[in-house]
Amino acid sequence: MSWADRLLFVDRRIIFLFVFVGALVPIIAPIGLGVTVSPPVQQVFDRIEEMQPGDAVMIAFDYGPSDGPELDPMANSILRHCHFRGVKVVGLSLFPLGGVDMAIARMRQLADELGAADGVGWVNLGYKDGAQAPMKAMGENIASVFPTDANGVPYEEIAMLEGLRNYNNFEMAISLATSILGEWWINLVNAQFGIDVAIGTTAVSAPKYYAYMEAKQTLGVIGGMKGASEYEELVERHYPQAKGLSRTATMGMDVQSIVHLVIIFFILFGNLMFIVTRGKKEAK
Amino acid sequence: MKRQIPIMLAIIASVCPVIAFFFPDRWINEWFNQRLDAWMVIIASFALLLGIVSMIQVNIHKIRRRARGWGFSIIILVTFTLMAAFGLFGGQGERADGSLYPFTWMFQFVFSPLQATMFSLLAFYVASASYRAFRVRNVEATLLLIGALIIMVGRIPLGTLIHPLVPDIAEWVMKFPNTAAQRGIIIGAALGAASMSVRVMVGIERPYMGKS
Repeated sequence: MSWADRLLFVDRRIIFLFVFVGALVPIIAPIGLGVTVSPPVQQVFDRIEEMQPGDAVMIAFDYGPSDGPELDPMANSILRHCHFRGVKVVGLSLFPLGGVDMAIARMRQLADELGAADGVGWVNLGYKDGAQAPMKAMGENIASVFPTDANGVPYEEIAMLEGLRNYNNFEMAISLATSILGEWWINLVNAQFGIDVAIGTTAVSAPKYYAYMEAKQTLGVIGGMKGASEYEELVERHYPQAKGLSRTATMGMDVQSIVHLVIIFFILFGNLMFIVTRGKKEAK
Repeated sequence: MKRQIPIMLAIIASVCPVIAFFFPDRWINEWFNQRLDAWMVIIASFALLLGIVSMIQVNIHKIRRRARGWGFSIIILVTFTLMAAFGLFGGQGERADGSLYPFTWMFQFVFSPLQATMFSLLAFYVASASYRAFRVRNVEATLLLIGALIIMVGRIPLGTLIHPLVPDIAEWVMKFPNTAAQRGIIIGAALGAASMSVRVMVGIERPYMGKS
């Protein structure tokens, strides 16, 4: 076996080691790379900017802990943005593997860092199983799907929810989604009830939502950690009070940048070796 | 009758929401459609119960037969029972003194780190798989490779440092070639789902009776 053949089949543990070092170095010594904002994220931000204090947004925490590193930072940024705008947030979850706990954690963080009180600036309605079924039923009456909030307080007794009967009373719905739930918010909630829907999703899921965005079925897409870092940047640019708050996605972009470069290096290196070995075989 | 009644119910339950969507008649919408929506939420919850029963049966069967990996089945059943007991009888969230109930503790300190670990491993496997899979074997593979490189560079801040146009090129790839391909997939899947729905509506397809 020639040297090129040997390099063509590099032991994967060597690749793992490079990825590990590539991830570790920016954590120890942050680079602080700048963030440029893409149009799909800007559109979501602008839509919330257009709202008036007292308007309501529905945020569905349709993801579990595995997607937390990408979706938690965007949830934090959107919640902060709504808080600064005075927009009411109604949170809920339709994802069974821990969605409700993600909602509780994010809203608790909002309360801790900005003092937003439960039942005043936000309400967490908790989890409901069935995904499409509650999505459809909420078009008629949210209280029939969530008779109480996550703490067991009846829907009718929560002053913030007064006048919020169904989708017609909300300015928009945002699904922070993994799996197919984001598509259902678009296909079912936007298409049937006409409410604006925005999607925050993992980087691997983001491409499919571009088709819906171009068809104006979703008004914007926040894709992965990059999208989250863009939203963090927008919030900090527009609201000085956001300065000093955690920007985990922006910090994570350093790691992502280096790991992407490692992957690109290995792809190019692998192809170089592939071309060399193919050339040798053809020469023989 | 055993056959006709379920088919009739399925036809009525599937056709009425469609009629209500196109002809928002008050009687259909308020009385029938809203009632169906409420039932749908309840019936969907029973699917979860069905899943739990099926999971228990499959794993008990595996343990009895000492099938490959039966030890993992024991772990599944024990952790499932523990979490269910904590969730049903042990309370959730925080106690008044700030400590966590067992269910929430298990979720935060066992389930979440395990899931995060599984997902984090992807970065390593993606790097290794990319090295082996992205080869310029033919024109299609080369185009795929070029597209992947553009997106990978364009989706990181370093892309802007290389050239300010790099993120725009990545956005163009996402907006046009990607959207075109995604539309094909979505429209194909939607047509399949629509034809399947029509087959269920007219009673040709009867998965609810345990056969087609």
